[in-house]
Amino acid sequence: MMIEAVGARTMGGVNNIGRFTRFAWQSLGASFRSCLSPVTYPLIWTQMHLIGVRSVPVVMITGAFVGMTLAVQAYDQLAGMGLEEHLGVLINISVVKELGPVLAAVMLAGRIGGALTAELGTMNVTEQIDAVRSMGTDPIRYLAAPRVVACLLLTPFLIIFADLLGILGGYFVSVVHLGINSRAYWSFSASGVELWDVSIGVIKGFFFGVALAAISCYKGFTCKEGARGVGQACTEAFVASFISILALDFALAVIFKAIYSTFWPLKSLV
Amino acid sequence: MQNSHNNAIIVLKNVTRKFGGKIVLENVSLAIEKGKTTVVIGPSGCGKTVLIKHLIVLLRPNTGEVYFKDLRIDNLGESDLNKVRTHYGFLFQGGALFDSLSVAENILFPIRQHSEITNWAQVEDLVKTKLAMVGLDGFQNYYPANLSGGQRKRVALARAIALNPEVVLYDEPTTGLDPIYSDVISELILKLQRELGVTSVVVTHDMTMAYKVADRIIMLHNGKIIADGNADYIRNHPHPTVQQFIKGQVSEDDLAVLRMSGTVSQAQFLPRDFQ
Repeated sequence: MMIEAVGARTMGGVNNIGRFTRFAWQSLGASFRSCLSPVTYPLIWTQMHLIGVRSVPVVMITGAFVGMTLAVQAYDQLAGMGLEEHLGVLINISVVKELGPVLAAVMLAGRIGGALTAELGTMNVTEQIDAVRSMGTDPIRYLAAPRVVACLLLTPFLIIFADLLGILGGYFVSVVHLGINSRAYWSFSASGVELWDVSIGVIKGFFFGVALAAISCYKGFTCKEGARGVGQACTEAFVASFISILALDFALAVIFKAIYSTFWPLKSLV
Repeated sequence: MQNSHNNAIIVLKNVTRKFGGKIVLENVSLAIEKGKTTVVIGPSGCGKTVLIKHLIVLLRPNTGEVYFKDLRIDNLGESDLNKVRTHYGFLFQGGALFDSLSVAENILFPIRQHSEITNWAQVEDLVKTKLAMVGLDGFQNYYPANLSGGQRKRVALARAIALNPEVVLYDEPTTGLDPIYSDVISELILKLQRELGVTSVVVTHDMTMAYKVADRIIMLHNGKIIADGNADYIRNHPHPTVQQFIKGQVSEDDLAVLRMSGTVSQAQFLPRDFQ
């Protein structure tokens, strides 16, 4: 009995992963095609407005608080060693490389992922997705692709906003509140943070954007009946997006580090 | 039985469909005749909606085959199916209007998906004509949220016939409509058949409508076809389940359950009181 139950669970899980992979593959294909056909631009445009423009304020607030908190927390330890002027390096590298991208993506998973899943889930429950199919239109192309494209293109930009406000927040607390010399703060930051660090933070955004859009759309499309089904789909979408963002972040960190030490073997040791 | 395959537009062959372990359609074979109106009746949960969704392959059968004009369609990929589906119109149970689009945009949706619109004046006329057919001209700029349930259904019907389909599938077209508009929908089905030669398949439990529009009535019970014939044949069908359904009577067994559970009223009527 036990073995049977475990087996069924495993089969269910593998099935689910298979279906998701197929869905993600199809929606990526459809997204690529819709980038080439101008007919779908209005749809992408609308989604970009909803997903991107409306998310700017929350992402900026997230970034600002990350920078400010880092400054407050790290100051004491660095000051104890007399290294408080290096605070800028610590804050800025953490913000642009890790915390900015990850926290912005998590914020987006909550804000956009929830909305996408609820919208598509309700459409599924009220047979609107079947209606799209019955009229000879591919719902992945019409509904999922514009959302995936919008998330793919705009998550990196939103991460830039988060980074910017994180840097400003860190600066504000370090210099204005903690009284670190402004010139020293910036010159240490400039020597410690490279273009590489900023770029990998932004590049991560493409991966996070696709992951959260694909997961949210998939959960919406496979949502179960009723108000409870939609609620459950939203919860699952957020949890799955959150975990995949963290997992992707880890994987990308490993990959980028390998690339970096291949090209600049000495720098990484210093 | 009047399964004349030579004139059939949609054919189901030995279709079986299961959900989980539950068999919803069991070995159903059916040929829908071109230009005729076929009505599928049956109690709630007997698989009527599942059956009608198989006709357009929104659901795929576990075993069995579906043909549209002698072309097997149940094994086609989605993109090939989408071409076939433009010959169909489907009226969903709840209407399934897109709530982010206005009434006019909803009706335009299938047109825009399959053709490039150049002449907007002509398209506006088309929307007006389709809406006038369901008695809702002037509602072009309303959103589905501002319409009543019946109005939504009528807009959905206007959308279903926007591409002038050869086959229109109606899933419970009169549920939630007042008797007058139920009759309007019936008249519309007859009009489409008369003037454009549209083939209709109607799933309903509204017997008034069934008798009015049907060239052929099929009764589905527990996933099987138990009666198949014209209105008179069904009216005089000997099967007790068919008689109970078309007359809207509760069966002895169900009555017994009602009497068993809950408090039994002293003033309870029994079937024999009416005899």
